[in-house]
Order: sequence, then structure tokens, then C-alpha cells
Amino acid sequence: MVNRRLLEHIDWALLLAVLALCALGLATIYSATGGATTVYWTQVYALVLGLLALVVAMSIDYRLLGDTSHLIYLGIVLLLVAVMAVGAVRGGARRWLDLGVFNLQPSEFAKAALALVLAKFLADGDRRGLSNQQLRMACVMTAVPVLLIARQPDLGTAVTLLPVLLVVTIAAGLPMRYLAALAIVAAIAAPLIYTFALQDYQRGRIETFLDPEKDARGAGYQQIQARITVGSGGLWGQGFMQGNQAQLRFLPVSHNDFIFSVLAEEQGFVGVVVALGLYLFVIIRSIDAARLAKDPLGSYLVLGVLASFTFQVIYNITMSAGLVPVKGLTLPLMSYGGSSLIATLAAFGLILNVRMRRFTN
Amino acid sequence: MTVPAEERFRLALRLRWLQGTTVAVFLLLAGVFWYYQVVQHARFREMAENNHLRTMPMRAPRGVIVDRRGEVLVDNRRALMIAIVREQSRDLDATIVRLAQVLDLDDGEMRALVQRHRREPTYRPIVIVPDATLAQVAAVSARRLDHELSGVIVQEVPTREYPQATLAAHLIGYVGEASEQQTTQDGLTAGAVVGQSGIERIYNRLLMGEDGSRRVVVNSVGREIRTLDALPPSEGQRVRVSIDAAMQRAADDAFTALGYAGAAVVLDVRNGDVLTMTSRPAYDPNAFASGIDRSTWAALNTDAQRPLQNRAIQGRYSPGSTFKIAMAAAALEEGIVTPDEKIFCPGGATFFGRFFKCNAAHGHGWMDLAHALEKSCNVYFYTVGNKLGIERIHAWADRLGLAGRSGIDLPNEVPSLVPSPEWKRQRTGERWYAGETISVSIGQGQVSVTPMSMALMMASIARGGERLTPRLVTDVFDGDAWSPAPREASTTAPVGPRLKPETVAAIHEGLWLAVNGSGTARSARIAGRDVAGKTGTAQVISNEGKARAGANRADLRDHGWFVFMAPKDRPEVAGVVFAEHAEHGSSAAPIARHLLETYFAGKDGAALPTFAAPAVPGTVVPGGPAAPAAPRRPVGTTAAAAGDGAPW
Repeated sequence: MVNRRLLEHIDWALLLAVLALCALGLATIYSATGGATTVYWTQVYALVLGLLALVVAMSIDYRLLGDTSHLIYLGIVLLLVAVMAVGAVRGGARRWLDLGVFNLQPSEFAKAALALVLAKFLADGDRRGLSNQQLRMACVMTAVPVLLIARQPDLGTAVTLLPVLLVVTIAAGLPMRYLAALAIVAAIAAPLIYTFALQDYQRGRIETFLDPEKDARGAGYQQIQARITVGSGGLWGQGFMQGNQAQLRFLPVSHNDFIFSVLAEEQGFVGVVVALGLYLFVIIRSIDAARLAKDPLGSYLVLGVLASFTFQVIYNITMSAGLVPVKGLTLPLMSYGGSSLIATLAAFGLILNVRMRRFTN
Repeated sequence: MTVPAEERFRLALRLRWLQGTTVAVFLLLAGVFWYYQVVQHARFREMAENNHLRTMPMRAPRGVIVDRRGEVLVDNRRALMIAIVREQSRDLDATIVRLAQVLDLDDGEMRALVQRHRREPTYRPIVIVPDATLAQVAAVSARRLDHELSGVIVQEVPTREYPQATLAAHLIGYVGEASEQQTTQDGLTAGAVVGQSGIERIYNRLLMGEDGSRRVVVNSVGREIRTLDALPPSEGQRVRVSIDAAMQRAADDAFTALGYAGAAVVLDVRNGDVLTMTSRPAYDPNAFASGIDRSTWAALNTDAQRPLQNRAIQGRYSPGSTFKIAMAAAALEEGIVTPDEKIFCPGGATFFGRFFKCNAAHGHGWMDLAHALEKSCNVYFYTVGNKLGIERIHAWADRLGLAGRSGIDLPNEVPSLVPSPEWKRQRTGERWYAGETISVSIGQGQVSVTPMSMALMMASIARGGERLTPRLVTDVFDGDAWSPAPREASTTAPVGPRLKPETVAAIHEGLWLAVNGSGTARSARIAGRDVAGKTGTAQVISNEGKARAGANRADLRDHGWFVFMAPKDRPEVAGVVFAEHAEHGSSAAPIARHLLETYFAGKDGAALPTFAAPAVPGTVVPGGPAAPAAPRRPVGTTAAAAGDGAPW
């Protein structure tokens, strides 16, 4: 399957940038958790597994994967249903399947699966645009995992599936007037959703975000501390394992949701620019892969997996500066989390897969 | 399956647009981080420091106080304090309930205590047990402080220790937490331990030292991670007092043996050093060292014997016949009589139409001044007092130090009172009646003096008239050497005129006769020491009043005074013993004798004497211990040697 010719076309630059981000994440986790702890080693194992997944995802021709996309999609939906039935509960949410050795979080894999099934579905259709029929079907295909994940409840991960739908349909030729209409509907619906659809705790998060001082000891605490953490880093940072905010635990879940704040504190603005540069490079390079793809399936697939990745990166980094409400959204490649790391690396396997097969038939 | 060119173009356009948007968003993010990390860095850095830096005070040990020979009167020890730091407590109420359970205290009271400190910063420890026993510390330490007793800390703090317990308690005083007034007026920090009475209070600035501080890094639950830097506390200055601990003990032993309340003061007449100052009953200042508990405080305050009062400077009593010494000086100096001039005592005399009795019903006969003092002849002093008039009596009492305050370096001294017409006018609006002067002449009527001023008068008499200012703190150790304690200039030199030598000689002779002749104070006699002195009896209530009260209750019995100086010709010490309800001045004399014996023993380097209670009926209060107090003698002295003082 992987012959010499294909190997020559592997995008080593992208792969290196991805690995560099993983290494940066690992180092920051090491610092945030105070050394080579269980958390650190779990992440190391996840990285090894993730690289395996990357190789596997890269090796199997994406067109072959596209042909079995409906099965993969169905498998993920079944896993999500299984989570609802027998999932392990942690922190009030049922998100994990306890597999004995490790806990699997199927929702992380739903992103790539959704990207794959949408790409296949839209690439197979009418080439001169997106029919309403296709759009409706794409929406239904997205809604199923979104609703299943939102019920866990894990609104954060559920929301990361929406950019997949949006970007893939845009690429497939979503008429611009639909986008405009969507923006208008969103503007009208937002206050209604806020009043009627959101839970109290969700409303509280938004209110706290708008005025963190109001609840400086409670929910607003994380937001204030995140900003202090970032700001106290300065230009050059306080040094590896020297960030007081993170080391003294003023910032909660620093190895997870707020890993970027820790990086900002310890490595300073310089470290931030390096990390931002790496992420930007990965994204731009991946969009190139979409442009270079041999067929729409390849383009859509790349854009699909990239959409949720990019959305999550931007949201998390903005959150680590205390600029958006705190949500349980991790920073892909850097945050602690086995399922997330494995799924993200597998997704990049797919992107590499598409790019290296741009000349094959 | 290739892509048509048209679609490829449309896709490429949309991808460019996506790339552009992504770059813009990342540039915006970089801008945000630039703003926070570079532009606003200083502000956030300060906020981060406020998060994790705490300045913790370190209490300085107070200065040690030693007696004139270097014996330690007041020391410090390291007490263990149990406190709650609210910041570190996960569930304050649970911590309180559990701590109360562990320490066997009332959780309601503990909650109220924490409540009282609610406005202080949450990282400041709230002291629950200021001086914990080892059992309490063990009970707390056995728990997991980070879990079961989150927020509870055990800390070592220097705390006052009074190894001599009640000895010299009133002059040393006690410490306590600074009051609100003290924190605002004297610039003391809240919670600081400061002197609240006695030397501890007057010399607080010297004794207090400088508290240190530590900057510590704490984590998000307030637990100390490490010390950043520390400014060590500097111990308060060492202070030497003029007190002779052996004499102080001698006084207490004698009072205890006789069962009297009262006071004693002994001054060194050469420089004003206070060698002894005791007030009985006393309290134990250790009870205050780490915050006195409410019940002990209430008991001390409601005790009818008033153990907190320093009788030596705060108790005012009628001087009785001891006042005749001031009368003698006034009469001789004003030329009312000459030393040899004799006045006939028939056992009483009539002035202004009223008959005044003498203490000898059948009269003393012809009396010169020395013998009038020896026998304490009332008629003699009625006569000279009548001639002197109240104004001159007041002026001379004042000159000798008997009126007003002595100026000793102690707080809350009350002024002694020797009346004058002016005083009476101000007080009652009435004019002075000449008949009142007759009562004043024998120390009755409105005369009301402290034991301290009585001692001061004796010192003035011993010195030949000049008045000194008594002082307690003589030297201060500044870390390298002892230097004289700071003193107001007006208190360093003796004041007032010297008396004529013949006045001094006559009075000294009379006082010597009172002890060594056939006077009232023979029990103070010490062979070869030429003790001179005078007894006095202070009526608590008039004889008529006593009759009305009917019962011979203890608190109606007269007070006994004995003032003294020694040796007669070249006096070194002078003083007073005041024994409450001892009925006669002669009952106070044995205490003075024991004090003087101790003084001379110390001076000669001889073994200290033990007090032997005189077996005279009527001098021992029923229930009072008749046996000598347990002797305290220096190591190496045998009992035989200690008993060397000639038996009384």
C-alpha cells in the first residue's frame, strides 16, 4: 500500500510541525503537573498510540476509507449510543467508555468520522453545486452525533462538529446567500436560545464571562486567573517550571484546558508566537493539501477534519487569554487527553494521506 | 476521477478566503497576547504576586528583665499556638467543629472568636489556643492537617515567662494584646503583644523589640510553599531593675508567714533605687502571658482583696503616728520648738473647745522632741501642730515627698494627700477649721498617703531633707553594653532644702529610741545595725463606727504602719511596711526587721536569714500561718547558717 513513490510525497514539514506541537504540549504538561507524573506518562503512551494511528490513517488509501465511510460513521454512532448506555461518569458527564486499560472518548473520533462521511457524501453528488436535498441530508448526518454528544452532556465537543458541516458544505459550493441567511438567523436566535434553551449553568457561564469580577471566587475565578497567568508571563516568560500561577495551582486544570496559559506564563510572548506560528503553519499547510487534492473527496476530507481542529485551536487559545467563556474544550495536540491526541493525530494522518496521494490513481 | 477546472477554481478561491481568514484570526490572537504579556505585563505581574506572596509577621521576643544582681525576673519561652488560617480552610465550619472536638473546647465560642476577626485578611492566623499544652498539640498533629483539619496551623511564638511567678508582679506588670486605642495612638500593629501595666507598660518601647517578617510563597489554597526572604525579629532590650530579688522574696515570705495583706517599699537613700516593692496579695503575671482567660480575669477583678492593685503606689491610707516625723521636721525647721524644748503631756489636751486624748491615758509627762517621737506622744504634736498651722504642715509634708506623686517609673500612681485650706476649698467649698489641724498633726483626719510616699519621706529624712525620685529601671542593655536607662532630667537630682543638722539629729535620735529604747517598734531592733523607725496605726473606721458595726470583723481592724531607716548615723536604706488590718504598727515591724536583715546579709555576703514569726499573741491573724514560710536560700547554704540571724 505504501510504496516508495508515496513515501516521497509525504508532507514532512507538516508532520514535523505537528510533532513539534506534540512535544511542546508534552513539555508543558510535564511542567504543569510537576514532573514525570502519571499524567505525563499517559500522554507519552497516547502519543505513541497516536503516531500509530497516524501511520494507519495515512496508509490506507482515503478513497478506500471513503467507500467504507458509512460503516465508520455507523460504528461511531453506535459507540456514542454505547456511551449513553454504559459510559463511565466523571465530573458529572458520561463521556467515556471504560476499556479497562484506558478510557476511550468516542466523541473525539466522531469529528474525523463525520468529516469522512460528509466528504464522501458531498463529493459523490452533483458536481455543479450543492443541492438542497444534499444539504438537508448533510445536516441530518451532522445532527445525529451532535445531539448524542450534547446529551452526555459535552456541549463543547458537540459544537466542534458544526464547523465540519459548515466548512465542507462551503467547499462543496454552499451558496453564499445561505451563509448570509445563517448569520441573520443566528443573530435572531441567540437571545432566544439564551433565554429558553440554555441550562442555568450555561447561562451562568456566559454572565460570568461578561463580568468575571461578579463571581471572582467562583466561576469568574478561572477567567481572571487565566488572564493573570498569561499577563504575568511577559515577553520572555518565567521559565520552564517557574510559572507561579500554574505551579501554585491558581489556575485549575492547567495541564488540560489551560495548557496554553501555562505556556504563555512560562515561555512568555516569545513562546506564544512560536506556538501560534506552528499552529498557523499546520493549518495553512493543510489548506494547501486540500487545494492540491486530486479529487473533491480529498479536499472535503482535509477541510472537514481541519475545520474542527482549527475551531478548537482558536477557541481554546482565546479562552486561555480569558477572552471567551470557559468551556471544557482542549487544545488539540497540546492538551492532556489520550483520545483527543490519538484522534487528532489520526486526522492528520488523513490529511497526509490525501496530500501524498495527489498524483495516484 | 478528476475535478473539472471550473470547480477547482471555485474551490481554490474559497480556500484562499479560508486561509486569509485564518491568518487574520491568528494575527489578532498574537495582538491580544502582545497586549496582555508585554503592554500590560506589569499590572498582571503584580496581580500574580498578590496571589502568591504573603508577608507573615514574626514576633520579636520581649526584653529580659533582671534584678540588680542579674537574677532573671522576666524571661521568654517558646509557646506553641494553635490557630486557624481561613484562607487554607476548605470548609471553615467543619474545621471549627472538628478542632473544637479534638481540643475539647466549645465550638460556639470558637465560632464567635473567628467571627470577631472576620474583617482581617483571610491569610492572617486567628489564634484559637495561644499557649497550647503538649497534649493539645499532639491531638491536633495526629490529624491530617491538610484534610481533617484544613486551615489549622501550629506555630511557635515567643511568649513572656515570669519564672518568679508572683514575685514583684505589680511592678513588673503584665502583657496583653494591644487595645484599639493603643493601635491607633501608639502606632502599634493590631494583635501585637504589649505591656499593659507596670514596667512592661512604661518601658514597652524598649522591651518590645522589632517584629520581623517573612515573605512566603503560598499556593492557591494558601499553603506555604517556601520562604522567599525573611527579616528576622530583633529581641527587645534587656532591662535591669533596682530590685533586690532576695529582699523582695524576704518581704513576701514575711507577709505570707504573718498572713497579712499590705505593701512594703525599701529605697536606697543614696540614689533612689527601689530595692523592694511588694504588694500583697499578688497575682501571677504568667496568667496574662498569652491572653488571660475570662474566668481568671473576672476572678482577679472581683476578688475583695484586690490582688491587681499595687498597694504601694495605688493604695491610700491614713498614716497615723508615722506622720509625726514630718511634723517634727516642720516644727524644728520653722522654729516652733527647739530639740531640747519640753512640752508637758497630761494624757490629753483641749483645743478649740474639744478634748483630744493622748495614747497614754495618764500622760507622758515632760517630753522633748526625740522622746515625743519615741513614745509617739500625741499631746506634743497637737501642740506644735496647732502652732504650725495647716499651711506650713502641708508645705513640709510636700517638701519631704509625702504629698503628691513620688514620680517613680510606674504607671497609674495615685497622689498622696496632705490637706491644705486651698484643697479643702476646692473640694468642699468650705473653709479650713483650725480644729482639723489638731487631727492632722497626728496623721488623722484628711491625711491619706501611699506606702510609696511614706518610704520617700523616710528617705528624705534619712538624707537630711533632700527628696529623691525613686526609680526602678536603672540600666538598659543595648546589645553590647549596659548603659543607664533614659531618665527625665528633673528626676535625676535630689530636690528641696537640706534640714538643719540639729533637726536631723533630733529626729534620727527619736526614731532610734522608738526601736532601740522603750518605744513601740522594739521588734524591729537588730543588734549593731542602729535601726531607726516609727510605728503608726491607721484607723479604718472611727471607734464609734466600730462600736456601731458591732462585730469584730477583720476588715474593720486598724492598719499597721512601720517606717524605718538604717543605720541611723549613715543611712543606707529607708522604707515602709504597711500591714492591712494588723491592728498595730508594731505588727508590721518584724517584716521590716526581716527585710533589713536580708539587706545587710546581702551587703555582707552572709547567708540570707529565714523569717521567724513572732510568737506575740494578737499579731497573728486567725487562720494565718504561724510557721515560718518555706525558706528560699541559695544553694550551698546550710539550714544552720540560714538560721544564723539572732532569733527574735
